[in-house]
Amino acid sequence: MNPILRMDGVSVTYRGSVRPRQAVIDANLTLEPGATLGLAGESGCGKTSLALAVLRLLPRSADVDGTILLDGQDIERLTWGGLRAARWASASVVFQGAMHALNPVRTIADQIAEPIRLHSSERLSAAVSRARVVELLERVEIPARRRDAYPHELSGGQRQRVMIAMALACEPRLIIADEPTTALDVVVQSQVLSLLRRLVAERGIALLMISHDLSVLAASCRRLAVMYRGRLVEEGPAHRLASAPEHEHTGELAAAFPTIGDTASRYQGAGEPVGAAGSTRRPLLSAEGVSVEFTDRHRNRVPAVREVDLDVTGDEILALVGQSGSGKTTLARTLLGLRRPDTGVVHYDGRPIPTSGRRLRDFRGNVQLVLQDPTGALNPRHTVYEAVAEGLRVHGGAADEAARVHEALEAAELRPAEEFAGRFPHELSGGQRQRVVIAGALVLCPRVLVADEPVASLDATVRGEILALLLRLRRERGVSSLVITHDLGLAWNIADRVAVMRAGAIVETGPVERVLIDPEHEYTTELLAAVPSFERSVS
Amino acid sequence: MSAPPNPTGVTGRRVAALAEGWRVYRADRGGLFGLAVLLLVVGLALLAPVLTRSEGLDVTRVRGEPLRPPSATNWLGTDESGRSVLLLTWWGARMSLLVGLSAAALSMVIGTVVGLLAAHFGGWVATLLLRVTDFFLVLPALVLAIALSTVLSRGVFTIVLAIGVTSWPQTARLVRAQTLTVETRPYIERARALGGGHRHLLGKHVLPAVLPLVFATTTLTVASAIIAESTLSFLGLGDPSMISWGSMLKSAMDTGAVTAGAWWYLLPPGLGIAIVVLSFTLCGRALETVLNPRLRGTRR
Repeated sequence: MNPILRMDGVSVTYRGSVRPRQAVIDANLTLEPGATLGLAGESGCGKTSLALAVLRLLPRSADVDGTILLDGQDIERLTWGGLRAARWASASVVFQGAMHALNPVRTIADQIAEPIRLHSSERLSAAVSRARVVELLERVEIPARRRDAYPHELSGGQRQRVMIAMALACEPRLIIADEPTTALDVVVQSQVLSLLRRLVAERGIALLMISHDLSVLAASCRRLAVMYRGRLVEEGPAHRLASAPEHEHTGELAAAFPTIGDTASRYQGAGEPVGAAGSTRRPLLSAEGVSVEFTDRHRNRVPAVREVDLDVTGDEILALVGQSGSGKTTLARTLLGLRRPDTGVVHYDGRPIPTSGRRLRDFRGNVQLVLQDPTGALNPRHTVYEAVAEGLRVHGGAADEAARVHEALEAAELRPAEEFAGRFPHELSGGQRQRVVIAGALVLCPRVLVADEPVASLDATVRGEILALLLRLRRERGVSSLVITHDLGLAWNIADRVAVMRAGAIVETGPVERVLIDPEHEYTTELLAAVPSFERSVS
Repeated sequence: MSAPPNPTGVTGRRVAALAEGWRVYRADRGGLFGLAVLLLVVGLALLAPVLTRSEGLDVTRVRGEPLRPPSATNWLGTDESGRSVLLLTWWGARMSLLVGLSAAALSMVIGTVVGLLAAHFGGWVATLLLRVTDFFLVLPALVLAIALSTVLSRGVFTIVLAIGVTSWPQTARLVRAQTLTVETRPYIERARALGGGHRHLLGKHVLPAVLPLVFATTTLTVASAIIAESTLSFLGLGDPSMISWGSMLKSAMDTGAVTAGAWWYLLPPGLGIAIVVLSFTLCGRALETVLNPRLRGTRR
C-alpha cells in the first residue's frame, strides 16, 4: 500500500531580516493510510512548520527543501489548481485556537459548507449541501438545530468540533490537527480527543496530530515522533516512547506530564510542610460563605461562586481545580480583594480584608497575584526592572530599590539579574516572562501567592521549572500559594491540599493523596477519568 | 505618587529614558525632517520682528503696486494693497501656529482627561461625562464658535477657546475607546493586585498606552484648528488687526485674486498649512515609535 504522506529530507528555512533561520532540518516521515502519528515538541521546535509544509501553507518567506509526497504526488510540482484540489480533498487541517480560525460573522453551517462548495465540480443545490452539513454536524455530535449558530454562541469544545467537521467535509485521507485541544479544559479535551480518535478509526483517515503535550498525543496516536530544535530526534510506537524514551528530550517531555498516583511525579518537598505545626498552620487567607453573582446583559443574576468556604493556611500549596467556567478565577479575584463578595466575608490573618485606603494597600502587599498569561501580565512598555520595581513604588518606594529588585529577580531564578533588568518583555521567552511576574510579586515579600493557571501557556519543560520554583519559594521563604488550575496533574505535582470546584461550589477538599487517589465526590472521579495518561513505568 | 525617597535615582532614570527616547527618535529620518521643518518654521515665526520690519504690513506705508506677480523686489509678489506676500506669509505663520497649537493643546487636554476618566471610572461618572461629550459632539461647532466669539471679547484667546472647546469630543471618544481596551489587559489587573491606586494605574499604564493615539489625533487637530481659525477669520470673527494664513486666503478670495489668476497670493499660505500639517504628522509618527517599544523591533 502506498503511504498517504511521505517526507524525505525535508528542511524549512525562513529568510529572516537578519539571517536565515532553519525551522526544520532534514525530517523524514512516512504515514500509511489510516495510521495515526503524533508530533511532539516544545514551541518553536518546528513542528507546525513541518506540518504546514505538507499543504504548502507556509508564508512566502519560507523555503522548503526535500520532497513531500502527498498521496503519491510531489506537492512541489503541483500546479496551483492541483494544489487547491489537494488542499482539503486529500488532506485537511484542524487549526489551533478555534475561536480565531472561525469567521465570527458567519454561521457555522455556512462555514462547514464552504469547502464542500469550493470542491464540488457541479453546483450543489442548497438542499444537498444542507443535508451534508447536517450529516457532518451529527458526526461531530453537535445537534443539527445548532447549525445556524455563530461561533461566539458555542462553547470552546463545540467550536473545536465545528473545526473537525470542516476538516471532514471533503472526505480527506489525511487530517493534520495542530494543537487541537490546547485551549480546552480536561473534560472537554478528552471528549474532543475521543471523537477525533473514533472518526479517524471509523473512516480509515490518517491523522497527523501536533501537540506539546505528550500525554494528549499518546491518548490518540499509535506512533509518536519527537522534534527538538528542528530535528526529528525520536520516532516509535507511543507506548515505547512513553515508557522507555531513548532521546533525553523525549524523557523530559514525558516527565513533565505527571501520572497521578505515581509518587515519582510528586516533586520533592510537596506535601511536606516544613514549619512548626502550631502557629503557621492557622488560616492566613480564608473565605467564609462567599458568593459572587454577575449580571448578564438581560439583567439576570448569574451566580459564579456559591457559598464557598476555603482556607489557605500558612506554609502550604493549595490547588483549586475545576473546569473552565466553574468560578475558580472569580473566587481568586474575590480572595485578592479585586472584587467584593455579594455575601460572605474574606479574612486575612484573622481580620476581614479592608476595602480601601492604606490598609488595603498593605493587604495587597501581602497577597500577590501571578496571572495565567505572562505576556499580557507585563506592560510591553516597561523594562523588567520597572515591572519588578512597580510594586515597591506603589507601596511608597524603597531606599534600597535596586537591591531588592535584584534580590527578587535572583529569587525567581533570573540569573544574572543585571542581564535581565534592562530588557523588555518581548525580548524574553514565555518562561522568563512568568519568572518576571513572579519576581514582581516576590519583591513585596508577600505571604500568599495566588497563581491563576501559572503554567497553562508554557512549554512542558518550562512548566516543571516554574512549579519547582513555587515549591522552593514555600520551602525557603514560607510563601503559601493558592494555585488555580484545570490541570489535576499540576495539583499532584506540587500541592499539599486540593479543593475541587464545580459550578461555583466547592465539592471536595482534602490532602492531595486522598482526593486524587481515593476521591469521594463523583465529580472528582469524572475529572480524574478525563485526564489523558500513558501508563508510564506503571505497566 | 507619594514623594519618592530617592530623587536622584528617579531623575537619573528619567534622564536615561529621555536619552534613550532621543536615540530612537533620531533613527527615524521622517521624524527628524518634520522636526527640522517645524523648528525652522517656529524659529522664523518667532524671529519675524527681528528679521523683518513690520512697517511692510501697514497698508498706508507700502509703496508696491497691487497684485503684482513675483519679481526681484517682491519675491512672492504683492497683495491687493501692494504689500509683499512673503512678508504677509511670514507674519501670518505666527498667528496660525499660535492658534493651531494652543487650540489643539486645549482640545487634547480636555479630550484626554474626559476620555480617561469616563473609561476608567465607569458608572455614573462615565454617564455624566459621556452625555456632556455627546452634547458637544452634536453641537454645530461653527455656530458655537461664532456664539462664543460674539459673547467674549474679540481676540486670539477667544478664537483658541472657541476652537478648543468644540474640537475635543472626537479626542475624548477615541481616548475612551482606547482606554477601555487597555484596561482589559492583564497587566492592569496585575498592577491593581500590586496595590496600585487610580493615579498609578492611569499615570503608569493607561496614559502611556493611550498617548501615541492622542499624539496622532493631535497632529490632525492642529491641522483642523488652523483651518477652523481661517474659517472664523473668513467670517470676520477673528482679530481683524492680526494677519493669519486663514485671513490671507480670505482676502485673496474677497479681492478676486482667484479670478485674476494671482496664484502667488494663494499658494504661499496654502503651502504653509500643508507643510506645517505634514511636519506635525511626521513628528507624531516618530514620537509613536519612541513611546511604543514594539514598533522598534525590526530595526534591531
